[in-house]
Amino acid sequence: MTVVLEKSNIPKLTEALSRQYLVVDYEKDKTALSVKGYFLAPREKLFSFFSKTKKLSVRSSPKRKLLLFGLDLADIEALGQLDEIMTKPREDYFYLRKRRNSLIVGVVEHSITMPVATGDLILEKINPSQYRAVSLTKAGQEIVKNKFFKKEKNPEILIYPEEKSNLRELAQDSELLAEAVSWARVKNHPIWEKLEKICLGCGICAYVCPICHCFSMEDEIEIDGSASHRCRYWDACVLNNFSRVAGGKNFRPALKNRYFNWFYHKFVRAYKEYDNSQCVGCGRCQKYCPAEIDIEKVLSEIIRDYEKSLSAPTG
Amino acid sequence: MKNLYQPQPVKIEKIEFLSPSVKLLRLKKRLNFVPGQFVLAGLWGYGEAPFGPASSPYQKQYFDLMVRKGGTVSAAFHSLKKGDEITVRGPYGNGFPLDFFKGKDILMVSGGCGIPPIASLTEYLIKNREDFGRIYLAYGATNPDEILIKDMVDRWQKSVKVLLTVDAPTPDWRGRVGFVTELIKEMKVNPLDTVVVMCGPGPMVAAMEKILKSIGITDRRIFISEERKMQCGIGKCQHCATGEKYVCLDGPVFNYDEIDKNFD
Amino acid sequence: MTNDKKLKLGLFDFTDCEGCQVELVGLKEKLLALSERVDIVNWRLGQAKAQWEQFDIALIEGTPLTPGEIDLLKIIREKSRLLVGLGTCATLGGIPAILDKEERQQWYNKIYGPEYEGRGVDALPLSAYVKIDFLIHGCPISGNEAARIFSDLINGKKLNYKDYSVCFECKLANLPCRLLEKKPCLGPIAQGACGAICLKGGSACYGCFGIKEGANVGALLTILNKFASEEEIENYFSMFHNKSKLYDHR
Repeated sequence: MTVVLEKSNIPKLTEALSRQYLVVDYEKDKTALSVKGYFLAPREKLFSFFSKTKKLSVRSSPKRKLLLFGLDLADIEALGQLDEIMTKPREDYFYLRKRRNSLIVGVVEHSITMPVATGDLILEKINPSQYRAVSLTKAGQEIVKNKFFKKEKNPEILIYPEEKSNLRELAQDSELLAEAVSWARVKNHPIWEKLEKICLGCGICAYVCPICHCFSMEDEIEIDGSASHRCRYWDACVLNNFSRVAGGKNFRPALKNRYFNWFYHKFVRAYKEYDNSQCVGCGRCQKYCPAEIDIEKVLSEIIRDYEKSLSAPTG
Repeated sequence: MKNLYQPQPVKIEKIEFLSPSVKLLRLKKRLNFVPGQFVLAGLWGYGEAPFGPASSPYQKQYFDLMVRKGGTVSAAFHSLKKGDEITVRGPYGNGFPLDFFKGKDILMVSGGCGIPPIASLTEYLIKNREDFGRIYLAYGATNPDEILIKDMVDRWQKSVKVLLTVDAPTPDWRGRVGFVTELIKEMKVNPLDTVVVMCGPGPMVAAMEKILKSIGITDRRIFISEERKMQCGIGKCQHCATGEKYVCLDGPVFNYDEIDKNFD
Repeated sequence: MTNDKKLKLGLFDFTDCEGCQVELVGLKEKLLALSERVDIVNWRLGQAKAQWEQFDIALIEGTPLTPGEIDLLKIIREKSRLLVGLGTCATLGGIPAILDKEERQQWYNKIYGPEYEGRGVDALPLSAYVKIDFLIHGCPISGNEAARIFSDLINGKKLNYKDYSVCFECKLANLPCRLLEKKPCLGPIAQGACGAICLKGGSACYGCFGIKEGANVGALLTILNKFASEEEIENYFSMFHNKSKLYDHR
């Protein structure tokens, strides 16, 4: 038996779900931002401290569960990575508290060939009018109990190959990426100089990335002095003061160093920490970079030259 | 789930000038730490910053911070008085590998405000004096006023050879003048049986490493305590990353060969 | 950490539109809260009280356009512990600095005839005349960002700018990137914290919050040169930065 959902019933389903959950219908083409901001907010108050009473309050999250509806596989994969980053080796309380109070429903417009590891329910397109429902968690099973889901013995199952994306394919080979990016720095590959000349250092790549998670913390004092708030906000490692210490020393004074660090984190440090490159090939940084830096071209160039160096005679 | 970002309040038991720009904050709390580890100390409204405790790890009643007036947090700390509360979380990171140090000669090198973890280590070594061979502490300050261990030197000298030097002497200064690196001439060093611990400005560390290498002390026997911008303390925020390491999780104490190839 | 003695604050304005002071008045409750915590001893636009003794903080809006205003600025500097520029006229020269001497002379000739000798001076940032301790940029300033800086100031915190450019708040507002649409914009190199207000209103960013420290101006010029004429680019940069030392692309 296959659990199916009629495509035409999707709006009714989300409406029904919104009686129980805070439903966000995520439409990738309508925003530059990924869903990470629902769990790691662009700017949030973590603590408030009241000077008169000396009471500390930890910011609470809403009681109602958040349901993110409509993520594609790349975004689900990215969220899975972010979950791991925020759990290991230490737990990030504020991220996980929100994340554990949420449900993820993926809507995949092509046939799924690999098991999906993150999310609660995946809706996979099987024919022009129907999706197959695969629940991954108890919460997902609960959703499937909804009247819009039907059990069918032999629904028509067509094959929809995933749209080919070079970047997504590149991103899969995390071992090669780790080696190539590392090599490109050790050998002082000219690409870093080239990127330094064209990168605006605006940080958009990090803001739109579904996995980038650098942040800073900052305290604010209410202008009447009654309370202080400890806030955290998205930072970006290409920004000027990212590595500047209180005494004034900047450990990455040149944009070249900072740009390389962005790559190094994504493709080398991440690989050593989590056996993955922190890129799922979603293409956002490629699409929204105002300097039109194309990560796919950059990675291809690095890999090409790395592989050339391997086949070149030594000495 | 534990909220690792939530700090604990601690009371200031004593606050006094150690030098014109550095204050000692004695905090009334038992802190279980290994010398070299750090805490994030903060003040609501001003933020948090990393500090390596300077007191003995055996001290059960309190722990000490040495605070140089520099950023927002340290400036705010300077304006506090006895009885005020600050916050602390941690300790974080890895301290000095004390077991590895056992049975060896110890050479500690420190400059300027790099002294706190070295001071704490010195207290540990003195308490376990029979476990170690010769112990040297070479410490350089910009001028005699900036020597932060004036009160400790006499006590320490009984068990440890303390060598002090300043860059710019005052008329009443009777001690050495010059860089810390020059103090090595006054030490008896057996390169095969010595571990070196350094905490101080980058140029000092780099210059010292060259000298140590020339006398046969390998990078594997050199341990340094690194300084970086820190925000979360738990390996998330990315500010303290260097190469494949995080100073907050993998450091702040590193084997010199672990990080000298890093680009940042 | 409360200040037992209230800081004495004076707010002065030279030639300008007074829009930044309007922005301050717009802070409403926050302004009242501020006035509880500091002693506003001089503010022409806001109160009758006008003392001329020492100031802990002097806020200066606008920039001198006559020799008399320059003298007054110097006097205020001498009386003040901290001198803070308020708004882009004060911090960068801003709008009044678009026009320079030669151009002004042409207008004098046209309006008053060739006999007329103007007494006005070129609009320059305050820093051309006296030492400035901090700049609160903006045309006009952002009330909220100014309130944050005031709060840091009265609590003895080191003053700083946000480390992000205008792009951060522009992206959060889900606005399409003008540069990708081949329209000029200074957002990526401009100091953020304005709330991307111009972009939200459909305009470009002209960088009224100043050019961000360490900004890659050259990279932006390369992009602009692909689709904009030199004159157009000049217009964007000269809107607020004509006489600013923070920026020099020529």
